[in-house]
Amino acid sequence: MGRCGLGGQPVIETQGLCKTFRDFWRRPTVAAVRGLDLTVTAGEVFGLLGPNGSGKSTTIKMALGLLRPTAGTIRLFGFGPTDRRAKARVGYLPEVTHLHPFLTPRETLVYYASLFGLPLGEARRRAEELLEMVDLKGAAGRPVGRFSKGMARRVGLAQALVNAPDLLVLDEPTSGLDPVGCCEVKELIRLLASSGVTVLMTSHLLADMEDVCDRVAVLARGELRASGRTAELLRQPGVTRFLVDGLGAGEAESLRAELEARAGRPVCCDVPAVRLETFFMQVVSREGSARAFEVAPFLRAARQAREESGA
Amino acid sequence: MVRRIQSGSVARLRLAARQAAALTWATVTEAIQQPLALLLLLTSVLTTLLVPVFQFHRFGEDGRLARDSGLSCMLVFGLVLAAGTAGRSVAGEIASGTAAAAIGKPVSRTTFLLAKWAGVCGVVKVFWVATLAATLAAERGSARFVEQEGFTGYATDALTIALGVAGAALALGVAGAAHYFWRRRFGVAAFLGVALSQVAALAVSEVCGRWFGSRGEAACSAGCGVEGHAHGAAEGWLAYQPPLNLRVVAAAVLVLLALAVFAALATALATRLQTGPALAVCALVLLAGLAGDSFAGGAGGLSVRGLAAGVLPDVQHFWLCDALARGGRIGWPYVAEAAGYALTVCALFLTAGCLSFRGRDLG
Repeated sequence: MGRCGLGGQPVIETQGLCKTFRDFWRRPTVAAVRGLDLTVTAGEVFGLLGPNGSGKSTTIKMALGLLRPTAGTIRLFGFGPTDRRAKARVGYLPEVTHLHPFLTPRETLVYYASLFGLPLGEARRRAEELLEMVDLKGAAGRPVGRFSKGMARRVGLAQALVNAPDLLVLDEPTSGLDPVGCCEVKELIRLLASSGVTVLMTSHLLADMEDVCDRVAVLARGELRASGRTAELLRQPGVTRFLVDGLGAGEAESLRAELEARAGRPVCCDVPAVRLETFFMQVVSREGSARAFEVAPFLRAARQAREESGA
Repeated sequence: MVRRIQSGSVARLRLAARQAAALTWATVTEAIQQPLALLLLLTSVLTTLLVPVFQFHRFGEDGRLARDSGLSCMLVFGLVLAAGTAGRSVAGEIASGTAAAAIGKPVSRTTFLLAKWAGVCGVVKVFWVATLAATLAAERGSARFVEQEGFTGYATDALTIALGVAGAALALGVAGAAHYFWRRRFGVAAFLGVALSQVAALAVSEVCGRWFGSRGEAACSAGCGVEGHAHGAAEGWLAYQPPLNLRVVAAAVLVLLALAVFAALATALATRLQTGPALAVCALVLLAGLAGDSFAGGAGGLSVRGLAAGVLPDVQHFWLCDALARGGRIGWPYVAEAAGYALTVCALFLTAGCLSFRGRDLG
C-alpha cells in the first residue's frame, strides 16, 4: 500500500492495479499499469508524475470507471469506480478537452450540470458563475468548436467544477493555458484544497506540480517508482541556505569567507532571482492585463458547507 | 424501510430521466447541425416534391409513383440519416472522448446509450414529418385525370408543388438571415425550418384548395394518348380540387417504425463499429429484411436460413405501400401490431448494444 500523506480518510485506494491493453484478437499489446498501490487521502493535492506512456492517464481513467482494470482493485470514496454515489462527488478534466463543438459554453455547462441531476435553474446559475470565474462571459454565446485550445480548456475546467466536487481529477490542467490562466488554475487548486477538496492531478510541468502538490507519485512504464510528500522528496539533506535582505556585496563576501573558514568546505553565495512566472505576473498586473480571480460563489458556498460539517 | 427503498428508486429514476433528457437534447442539437443531416433532408424533400414534375410518361398512376417515391425516399434517406446520426453520436463521441466525459459523470452506460437512441429517433422523426408532408404534397400535385366542364385531360396541382419547393427555399433563406443577423445556429434553424415549411406549405395548399379551389395546370389538351375522353379546348390553368391522400399516413408510420428499428441497430453497432461499417450493416439488414420471404421462406428453424429469418427483422412488415394501390387502406390495428414488433426488435438490438457497450474501454 502507498503511504497516506495527510492522515485523512482515503479517497482513492488502489491495490495491485493492472491494465493491459489488448488488440482485436485479445492479444496483449501494452501493459500500461502494473501492480499499482496508491492511496490519496481527503483534502490533499496529489500529483501523478511520469514520462509519456507511464500510465498516468490510464490510472485516472480506471479511477473514473472509463477503463476496466485487468487485475487489482480501485475504490473511490469506498465505492467501486462505476458507482454513481462515487461519481457524483467527482469532477474530471480530461487530458484533451472533449466538448460538443456546436454547443456554446453556457449550454455545455448546463448540459454537464444536468448530468448530475441539477435542476435547470440551478444549472444555469452555476453555469453563469463558472463562466465569470473562467473569464468566458464574453464568449458565452459562441460555439466551443471555434474556441482556441486555451479557451476550450477553461470550459473544460468549468465543467469539472459544475457539481462542486469533493474529488477533482485534473489530467494536465494547465495544458494550453497562458501563464495567467496557469496561475489562476493553481490558485484555484490551492483554494479548493484548502476547503477540503481532494485533487488528483497529472502534469508534465514539474514546476506546476511542485507549486501545488502536497504529495507526488512518480510512475515509469506503468510502475510506481517513488512517492511521498513533495517537500520531503525535494529536500537536499545536509545543505543549508541563508537568505539575508539588504546585505552589501562586501559584507556578503566577508560572511562567505568566514563561513568557509568555520565549515572547512566551500560555501556558495548568490543573489536569488524571482521565478519567471512571478516576474511575468508582476508585469501583466502592472499593465492591468491580469484580472482579479474569484472563485464562483457556489463553490465558496460548498466550501463553507464543507468547513461547517468538518469535512 | 420499504418507503426508503421506494423513494431511493424514484430518485434514481428521476436522475436517470433528467440525464437522458440532457443527453437526448445534446444528441439532437449536435446531429441536426451536421451538414449531412440537412443535405439528406433537402434531398429527400426535393426529390419527393419534384418526382411529379419530371414524369414524362403517364400511365394514369402518377400519384402512386409520387407516393411510392416519397415513401422510398423516407426509408432510404431515413436509414442513412439514422445510421449516420447514430454513428456520429455514439462511435464519433467514443472516438473523440465526449462519451468518456459524459460517462465520467454519474451517468450509467445504459442511460447513455438509450438516450443516444432517443436522440437519433428524434432527428429521424423531424425528417419523417418533412418527408411525409412532401409525399402528401407530391401525390396531391401529381398529374391526374380531370373531367369537368370545359376540360377533359391531365392536370397537375402545380401550386402545391411550388409551395413545397418555395417553402424549403424560404426556410433556408430565413435560417441564413437568422444566422447573419441574430447569430442563430444555421443548421438547427434550417433543419427545423425545412421540416416546418413542408407542413406549412401543405396547410396553405389545403386552405387554398378549400377556399379558392386549387389552380391546377392543364398540361394536356390534345394528343395525350388516353382514349375515351374529349380533349380540352386549350392548355393553361383550371380550377380543381385534388384531395390529400391521408391513407399514406399509416404507411408512413410503418416506415417510421422501420427507421426506429434501424436507429436501434445502428446505435448498437456504433458501440463497436465506425459510421461507415455500421451503415453498411444496416443496408445489408434492410436488403435481407426486404427479401426475407424469398430468402428464408419455408426454411427450418435450425437451418442457417431459418436462423437468419429469426434474427433479422422482417422489414416487409413495415413496407406496405402496395397496399395503398387502388384505394386500399392499411388498418390501424395492423400498425399497432407492427409497432409492438418494432419495439420488441428495438429492445433486442438495444440490449445487445448495452451489453457490448458495457465492456467497452473509453478514452
